[in-house]
Amino acid sequence: MQIKIVIGTIAFMLTMMVFGYSALREPARLERFTNAELGRSIEAGGHIFANNCATCHGVDGTAEACFDAAGNQIACQGLPLNFNGLLCGEPSQRMTDMGWNGTKAAYVLTTVSAGRGPIMPTWSEQFGGPLREDQVRDVTNFVLNWESETLCAAPVITYDWPETADEFLARTDEVEPGDPTRGAELYALTYGCQACHGTLDGLVPAALGPSLLEIETDGATRVEGMDAATYVYHSILFPSDHIAPECPTGPCAGPPSAMPANFGARMGENPQDMADILAVLLGE
Amino acid sequence: MATFVEQVREMGIKQAVVTKADEVVERVTAGMNINDVRAALRGDEPRRPNPRLRPHADGFWLHIRPSFYHTGVTNIYPTFRLGWLSTFMLIWETITGLILMVFYTPSPLVAYSNMWNILGNVPLGQLFRNMHRLGAEVMVLVVAMHMLRTFITGSYKKPRQFTWATGMLLLVFTIFLSFSGYLLPWDQLAYWALTVFISGGAAAPAPAFVNDTVLLVLQGGPALGANGLLRWYLLHVLLLPLLAGIFFFVHYYKVVLYGISLPPGREQIGEDTAKRVPQGERTYFIPDILTSELMWTALATLFLVAGALWLWDAPLETHADPVVTPLHVVAPWYLSWSQGWLKLAPKTAVVGFIPLLLVAFIVMPYFEVGKSRRYADRRVGLTVAMLFIAFMLVSNWMGSPEFRVTSSPDREVSIHLLPEEGPGGLKGIPFDHMTPGTYVPGQVIDGNPFLTRGLAVFEEAMHEQSCTLVGNEMWQECTVTTLESGAKSYSNRFTDVAMPDPVATLEIVEIQPNLKEMTLHYQVADPENPNEMLIDTPWTAFRHAFSNYEEECQFLNKSCAIN
Repeated sequence: MQIKIVIGTIAFMLTMMVFGYSALREPARLERFTNAELGRSIEAGGHIFANNCATCHGVDGTAEACFDAAGNQIACQGLPLNFNGLLCGEPSQRMTDMGWNGTKAAYVLTTVSAGRGPIMPTWSEQFGGPLREDQVRDVTNFVLNWESETLCAAPVITYDWPETADEFLARTDEVEPGDPTRGAELYALTYGCQACHGTLDGLVPAALGPSLLEIETDGATRVEGMDAATYVYHSILFPSDHIAPECPTGPCAGPPSAMPANFGARMGENPQDMADILAVLLGE
Repeated sequence: MATFVEQVREMGIKQAVVTKADEVVERVTAGMNINDVRAALRGDEPRRPNPRLRPHADGFWLHIRPSFYHTGVTNIYPTFRLGWLSTFMLIWETITGLILMVFYTPSPLVAYSNMWNILGNVPLGQLFRNMHRLGAEVMVLVVAMHMLRTFITGSYKKPRQFTWATGMLLLVFTIFLSFSGYLLPWDQLAYWALTVFISGGAAAPAPAFVNDTVLLVLQGGPALGANGLLRWYLLHVLLLPLLAGIFFFVHYYKVVLYGISLPPGREQIGEDTAKRVPQGERTYFIPDILTSELMWTALATLFLVAGALWLWDAPLETHADPVVTPLHVVAPWYLSWSQGWLKLAPKTAVVGFIPLLLVAFIVMPYFEVGKSRRYADRRVGLTVAMLFIAFMLVSNWMGSPEFRVTSSPDREVSIHLLPEEGPGGLKGIPFDHMTPGTYVPGQVIDGNPFLTRGLAVFEEAMHEQSCTLVGNEMWQECTVTTLESGAKSYSNRFTDVAMPDPVATLEIVEIQPNLKEMTLHYQVADPENPNEMLIDTPWTAFRHAFSNYEEECQFLNKSCAIN
C-alpha cells in the first residue's frame, strides 16, 4: 500500500508540474492561436475572393479591367481594392470620402455584406447574398491583408477641383475635351447615375433624383450667376449645396441631398471622367 | 454536549482545539477520527468495532461502495481496472465538458468562432479541449475493452445477465455521447461526419415516412442547421449524460449486489463465490481499495493531461459549409467497422442489422445454455467470439481510408500534398522556407531541407499516380487498356487511372504580405492526340505566415507530408 501512496503522490505532483508548465507557456500560445485564427481566416478569404470577387476586382484586387493601356479609368464592373486610398490610414481616404465614422474593418465588412450602389451586389446571407457571416469576415480579412508598408508609402491621390466648370475644362494639360460616348458609359455603368436619374434617352424615367433630360437648359436657371455647366459640375461635387425643385416623388428632399457625396473623390482618381460626364449631360 | 467555550474553560485552548478537530474529522469522514485515519494510512489493524466500516454505513459518498472486496478480484487480472476506468472517464468527461460549456454557444453563427476563442483566448483552453476530446476517444476504447474482457471471462453469465444488459446500453450511450459531441465545433469534419451518420440512420428498413421523420427530427430541418446543432448539443450535454448516469448507477448497483466476478478458474460451476467472501479473503475498501483508486486516479490524470499537451491535438477544420462536401468523408475510428460493412452489404441491410445485433448481445446471457465460466468449457462460445472479433477487425480495416473510393489521379496527389483541411501536406513547411518560385517534383533546393522534403513527397505521390509510354525513367511503364467506349485507360502497379507522362509543377507566389499561394499544375497530353489535354488543372491552397500549421504537425494524430 505504501508504494501505491508514493506512486500516486508522484503522479499527482507530476500532473501539477505539467499544468504549471502549460500555464507558463500559455500567454505565448494564446497569441499564436489568435494569430492563427486570423491567418486561417485570410486563407479562407483568399479562396472566396478568387471564386467570387476576382471577376470584377481582379485577381490581385487592382481591377485591371478598369484601366485602358494608357492607365485611364474605363467603364468596368469593379473598383480596385488593393490601393492606398482604401487601405491606408485610419480613417482611410475612402472612409473620409464616404463619411464613414466606424472602423476600416467595419467599412469593408459592411460594403461586402450589403453591397454598394447599383453594381456591387450584396454578399451576406443577411441581405440576400450567398455568403455566410463567417465567409464575409474571411473575405474582409483577406482584403485588409493587402495593407502593407509598400502600398501605404505611396501618397493617396486627391484632386484639387477648381471653382467652376470653365476653369476645370481649361486645364488642358490634365483634361481632354469631353467625350460624350464615354460619358454615357460612365453615366450608365461606372457611376451608376441612371439608377436614380433615369436613362439619357428618356426611356427609363428618373426614379429618385431629378430628371436630367433638360438639364442643359434648366441648369442655367437654377442658381443665379451659375451657368448650366458650372451648376452640374458643382452639384456632382457637392450635391447638398443646391437642391433641385422637382423630383419624381415630389419636391426634392434636403439638404442634405440623397445623392452620394463621394463622386468628387471617385472622379478625382481620373478627372477625365468629369469632363466626359459634363459632355454627355450638357449635350456638347 | 459541551459547547466549545465550555471545553476551552474545562481543558484549556490547546486540548479543546484538538478535541474539536477530531470531532470535525469524524463528522466529515462519517465515522473515522484522526487516529483512525492515521492508523488506516499506516496500515495498522483497525480497532474494534471497526471504524472503517462506518463511512460505508453512514456516509453518502461511500454508501454505494462495498466495504470489502474479494481479494481475488483486486489483482490486475481479471478486471484490468477497466470498469473503474470507464467510471473515471465518465467523471473526467463531465468535468472537462462543464468547463468547455462555459465558453460555448450552440449556434451555427458563433459555434466555430467559439472554438477559436477557446484556442486563442481562454487560458488553458486548448488543453481542456484536447483533454475532453482525447478523453472521449479513450472512454470509447476503455468501455469497449471492458465489454470485451467481461465477455472473455464469461462474467456476463448468470447471475450477472442484467449487469451485462445495462453495460451494453452504456456502450451505446458512450458511442453516442462521443459522436454527438463531434458536431459541436461546427467545422467541416463535424458537419459531414454527422450528415453521413444521420443519412445512415434514415436508411433503416422502415416505411419511407418513418425514415423521413427520423431524418427531419435528427437534422432539425431539410439539412443540418441551427435546429440540428441545438438538438445534438442538448443530446450531448443533457439527455445522453442523464441516461448514461442513470444506467451507470443501475449497472454499478448490480455490480455491488452480485460482487465483481472472480477469475473463472477460481469458482465452482454455478457457484457465485464473489458474493459471499470468507473472512480471510477480504480486502477492505478503507484503506486498500481507496488507496489503489487514488493512485489510479493520479496516474490516469497524468496520462490524459500529458497526452493532451504533447501527444494528441483535437482537430479543428474550416467552418462547416453545407454546399462544399470534402473529398473523403471518414467515420470516426470507432465507427469505422460500419463503413466497412457498407462495402459488403446495402445500406438498408447494414442499418437494419446493427440494432438486431445489439439486441442479440443484450439478450444473449438469458439464452445461453453453458453455465460454466471456465475457458475450457466454452470452446464453442469463445471460438464464435474470436471469429466475431476478427470480423470486426477486418471490417474496421475495410472502413479505413485505405479502402476509400479514389478520385482522379491529379486530385489524389493534390489532396495528399495540399489537403483542403488540416495542417497536412506542404502547409507544414515553415512559412519562411516557402521560397516563391516554380518547382518540379523531386527537385533539391540547397539550404532548404523543408521544401526539398516536400518536393520529394511530391515526387513519391506523383510516382504512384503516373506512368510512362515513352520510357521516361521517372515513372513506371503504362499498361494500356482500351475501354468499350473506345477511350484508352492507362494504369500502373498502384492505380487503374494513372496519368501518362505528366508534367507537374509546384508554384509558390506571395500574393499578399504574409500570404503565399501554392498551386499544383498538372498537364497531361492525350497520347492519342497530343494537341488535346487529358488533364490540365491547377489546385490552389493558401498559406498565411500566422496560420501555425507547423505547431500542429508535432502531434501524433496530425501528420504532415514533410514530417
